Amino acid sequence: MPDDMNRYFLLATIGFGVSSACVAETVDFSSDVKPLLAQHCWKCHGPDESSREADLRLDDFSSVTADRGGYAVLVPGVAAESTILDRVRAHDEDERMPPTAAGRGLNEEEIRTLEAWINAGATFQQHWSFEPIRNPVPPLVADAGWSRNAIDRFVFARLLKLGLAPSPSAERATLIRRLYLDLLGLLPSPEAVAGFQRDDSSDAYESLVDSLLANPHFGERWGRYWLDQARYADSNGYTIDGPRVMWPYRNWVIDAFNRDQPFDMFTTQQLAGDLSPAPTLPELVATGFHRNTLINTEGGVKADQFRDEQVKDRVDTTGVVWMGLTVGCAKCHSHKYDPIQQDEYYALYAFFNSTQDNNSVEPIELVAEAESRQRWRDLQRRIQELKERIDEATPKLATDGDESAESTELQQWKSELSSLESARDELEDGHPLAMVLRELRPARQTHVQVRGDFLRPEALVTAGTPQALPTMLPSKEYDRRFFANWLMDKDHPLTARVRVNRIWMRLWGRGLVETENDFGVQGSLPSHPLLLDWLARDFQRDWSTKRLIRLIVTSSTYRQSSQWRAELAGVDPQNRWLSRQSRLRVEAEIVRDLALSASQLLTNTLGGPSVYPPQPDGVYAFTQVQREWPTDTGADRYRRGMYTFFFRSAPHPLMTTFDVPKFNQTCTCRDRSNTPLQSLTVANDEALFEMATGLAERVLREIPTDQIDADSHRLQRLFKICMARSMDTMEAERLHDYLVAEQIRLGPQATKRSVWTSIARVVMNLDEFITRE
Amino acid sequence: MNQQLRHLQASTRRAFLAQSGINVGALGLASLLGDEVTARVPTPTSRPRAKAIIYLFMAGGPSQLELFDQKPLLGKMSGEKPPQSFLEGKRFAFLTGEERLLGPRRPFGIYGDSGAVLSNLLPHLRNVVDDLCFLKGMTTDVFNHGPAKLFLQTGSPQPGRPSMGSWITYGLGSEAHNLPGFVVLQSGPRGPRAGSALWASGFLPTTHQGVPFRSEGDAILNLRSPKHYDREGQRAFTDVVADLNQQRHDVIGDPEIRTRIAAYEMAYRMQISAPELMDLSSESQAVLDMYGAEPGKASFANNALMARRLVQRGVRFVQLYHTSWDQHGAKQSLEEELPLRCKQVDQASAALIKDLKQHGMLDETLVVWGGEFGRTPMGQQNEPSGRDHHVDAFTLWLAGGGIKPGITYGQTDDLGLSVVDQQVHVHDLQATLLHLMGIDHTQLTYRFQGRDFRLTDVHGTIVKDILA
Repeated sequence: MPDDMNRYFLLATIGFGVSSACVAETVDFSSDVKPLLAQHCWKCHGPDESSREADLRLDDFSSVTADRGGYAVLVPGVAAESTILDRVRAHDEDERMPPTAAGRGLNEEEIRTLEAWINAGATFQQHWSFEPIRNPVPPLVADAGWSRNAIDRFVFARLLKLGLAPSPSAERATLIRRLYLDLLGLLPSPEAVAGFQRDDSSDAYESLVDSLLANPHFGERWGRYWLDQARYADSNGYTIDGPRVMWPYRNWVIDAFNRDQPFDMFTTQQLAGDLSPAPTLPELVATGFHRNTLINTEGGVKADQFRDEQVKDRVDTTGVVWMGLTVGCAKCHSHKYDPIQQDEYYALYAFFNSTQDNNSVEPIELVAEAESRQRWRDLQRRIQELKERIDEATPKLATDGDESAESTELQQWKSELSSLESARDELEDGHPLAMVLRELRPARQTHVQVRGDFLRPEALVTAGTPQALPTMLPSKEYDRRFFANWLMDKDHPLTARVRVNRIWMRLWGRGLVETENDFGVQGSLPSHPLLLDWLARDFQRDWSTKRLIRLIVTSSTYRQSSQWRAELAGVDPQNRWLSRQSRLRVEAEIVRDLALSASQLLTNTLGGPSVYPPQPDGVYAFTQVQREWPTDTGADRYRRGMYTFFFRSAPHPLMTTFDVPKFNQTCTCRDRSNTPLQSLTVANDEALFEMATGLAERVLREIPTDQIDADSHRLQRLFKICMARSMDTMEAERLHDYLVAEQIRLGPQATKRSVWTSIARVVMNLDEFITRE
Repeated sequence: MNQQLRHLQASTRRAFLAQSGINVGALGLASLLGDEVTARVPTPTSRPRAKAIIYLFMAGGPSQLELFDQKPLLGKMSGEKPPQSFLEGKRFAFLTGEERLLGPRRPFGIYGDSGAVLSNLLPHLRNVVDDLCFLKGMTTDVFNHGPAKLFLQTGSPQPGRPSMGSWITYGLGSEAHNLPGFVVLQSGPRGPRAGSALWASGFLPTTHQGVPFRSEGDAILNLRSPKHYDREGQRAFTDVVADLNQQRHDVIGDPEIRTRIAAYEMAYRMQISAPELMDLSSESQAVLDMYGAEPGKASFANNALMARRLVQRGVRFVQLYHTSWDQHGAKQSLEEELPLRCKQVDQASAALIKDLKQHGMLDETLVVWGGEFGRTPMGQQNEPSGRDHHVDAFTLWLAGGGIKPGITYGQTDDLGLSVVDQQVHVHDLQATLLHLMGIDHTQLTYRFQGRDFRLTDVHGTIVKDILA
């Protein structure tokens, strides 16, 4: 894109007037003082009252400045009179804080920071993420037209401060592959690439983005990210790990993303769809989010213990997914760093404590049209009633086991029961049963648990939200629906920031707040705090995920090349300041999807039950129960990776090898490891090898043998299918050498198909193939 | 270490080399990787007494009352109800409250210079008792199989935390050149409950997860190249992939690509070396006989021998599971099934100790033998007899690297219901094992979701009395 290149060079010639050094002249509480207090002091002098020493809180202005009989720990403005400095500087081990056993002492630089802060008045601020979201105005920057939208202006201003220039835009072939991978998780066809390269209209890029956002595969790509957070799996977990029907919820998620359901509604339906005034089927299916908890069906299991685990998991998951808070830390004791008391944890627990499920698959809901659902519910009710009646009647009669002793009435009931059951089974045959949330009435009582042990209940608590977060107007019901509304309140400082940050993370590999699952005191600070707030406020306007993604991917910042820049190695090795794009190895499912789309074997069906693509023998050598894996032979053999049946105890090896967790708990961000087992998988896995063969056949089909220079064209074609770009000469030579060598190695009797499979296998094993550039 | 640095360490591709369970040998790949090699030098916090652990996990909970913990009074009171005072505050998985005490189903004897007490179910083990340290005062917190196994191996009864082997390879790296640092082997009628969560790396980088080696067919999934790719074909493939990746690296500059090149090279080496490793026929007949191993046949004996071969090749942690020690009675009885299980492991367990000794490896190899909990002194109302899960007292033995040989530590009451002296809780065992590997269990932590996690949670005391 020549226009971008011009801009870049223009920037380079203008130069940047600000020195690269960025020294903090004044001490900032949040970024300078707080981390050191949190690290060294708060464990014993923090919010947790149970471990608090000397009745001193170093997170509280009044405690720290209190008169302690003629002296104070801290005298604002007067470091010399603040005894805290004597204590951290003391040579005597008995005097010095923190005590030797509690960790290393403060170093001289940290002590000077503390001193400067005290001299400046020792003001405590709330942790940044608990402060209201601001309404920043994007800065005006002299960027010679580089900025396309507000994101760019924030990013450019920051780069300017560091004396850095952004990278030039990536080439069009790279851009279109990047967009396809990010928005759909599939490869662009060489024709689509060529079309985009030829398109010289001014909005070529934006039109491409819009068409991809409207493509139904978008819902799969972005729905899968959400399913990670929902800890979606197709089995119950623990040791027995029997299969469960969860895919109706997966369908709901895919659909919600495709419809761009606003995030507030998306939230309310998942957390409390069953509590809406007249819950619709989709609202009920949406509550599957919190039915993804594990169920233990091992013999001898006590349901109360595992129900408690499930409720705790729901609280912890909700905390991390919506608020980026590690509320789970307050299960056993008040949070050591964040303002969440232990009783507040159990006040959150109370919201989730009164659902009907009890370490059980039930309650369930037939996923069918209204009429069938009504019939199914009636049947369920009548079956239940009959069973109870039969149970009541049976013990009195069955004394000698003589059938004839049964009354005709009982016999009638039994035959009615069996016909009702077969009517129900027939309905269930054609329609899946979704696991849903249903509220229990009256509600269960909730107690604080001593050290998080459900067998040691203490004080009674009622549902409520933490003190440190905004309160909402009184409500008639303090239930999950109330809680969901509270999360989505525009004054809630966390929800929008956390969501925006995770979406950003998916497109960059890291969030503006790097610790995307910890916005608390121990987490990292945002690299671009104003940009984060601007995005959060903008997102709150309509909670539209597609609009937010569109905004990010159409920015100049996103369009940058991912090429490493040697001059940045020292300044910004991690690309925190966004002076280039990131190179990201794609997720496990996408490894499969790319191979499927390269080979054109992909079955395009959206949603539905999970499937069984081939997997290596012996996967179950290590599980308690031998699983059935009826390897698909028809179209389902080639479904996208996200539809592969997921047993928590033994997921498909492609998944685990490429860092898919077992979803025993929420996963907000996956690892991106790079291991020899991955190499073995891509090189040798039966399913992927089949796709290499498919790719070979495709190329042989598309470039007929009688074409001049057929082999060279095929090499180019094959490479382009996989990487979108053209091979350079060196690459072409090396691959051609290999082609010739393989022809010799495999011998004259070898088919074209097997020779070209070798080539396809090599290209699919290149780092670039499984990387979003 | 600050958060960013920690994160950097965890996420950088160099992690594969720097802190990997599949650590790259110092020389072979160094040239390939140039300055990228920053292989982690073990940084022990205490003097390491062992270099490797072989953990023989008897999944299901073997009965200490039929194997190790002799209780004559239990025999005398057999058939009586347990005194109420013994039962207060205890929860059991299956007991209904009506159960009677059940006397030991096996006679015991005294063996070795150390005078170890052992039942007649373990005739081979009696020959090595002077090398063993019996912990008879083991206790745990959870009484269902899956959670209890997770608790022993990851420090938490919930799935999701790193396994002991992951923690150790994370802390120390591995000396294996062509193999993963943490290997899992399995024998017995079925896989262990809780499955791969037992050897998962949890929040640690996935390079630290245990790699299951299967005892039949190919050891590692996808180890075998597709048809038509012999060694030469696979070499040519690896070379062209390396060259093209290198060309891309020269253009784009991402060090990640070099890690990928190294990973492919390591994969190739594993393909070459694993078949040799798995081929037990290279062992002498005497060694095979000592274990009772038969090449090509899946068994605990084969796995025990394999464990020695793995440790010889630098593997840091070998986890063996032998399943079905869950003798509740009836079909799974103490009279019929337990002897069968013992027969499957007794000879090879003893052979492993002797073999390690003969190779001069026992001093540096720590062997652990035991289940996730013990079994109740009360019998279940089944015929033939069985016992329920018991968390308050069970036995486990250790041998080798840094362990005092020929001792018994820990004592239970006369009925075997509770520990009365020298109790060792699961977290204490974990702390002690890490200590013997040269790791301070309070220092080996990983920051995840705002908290520093460790194998021992906030507990664990090193059992100094059993250290050599």
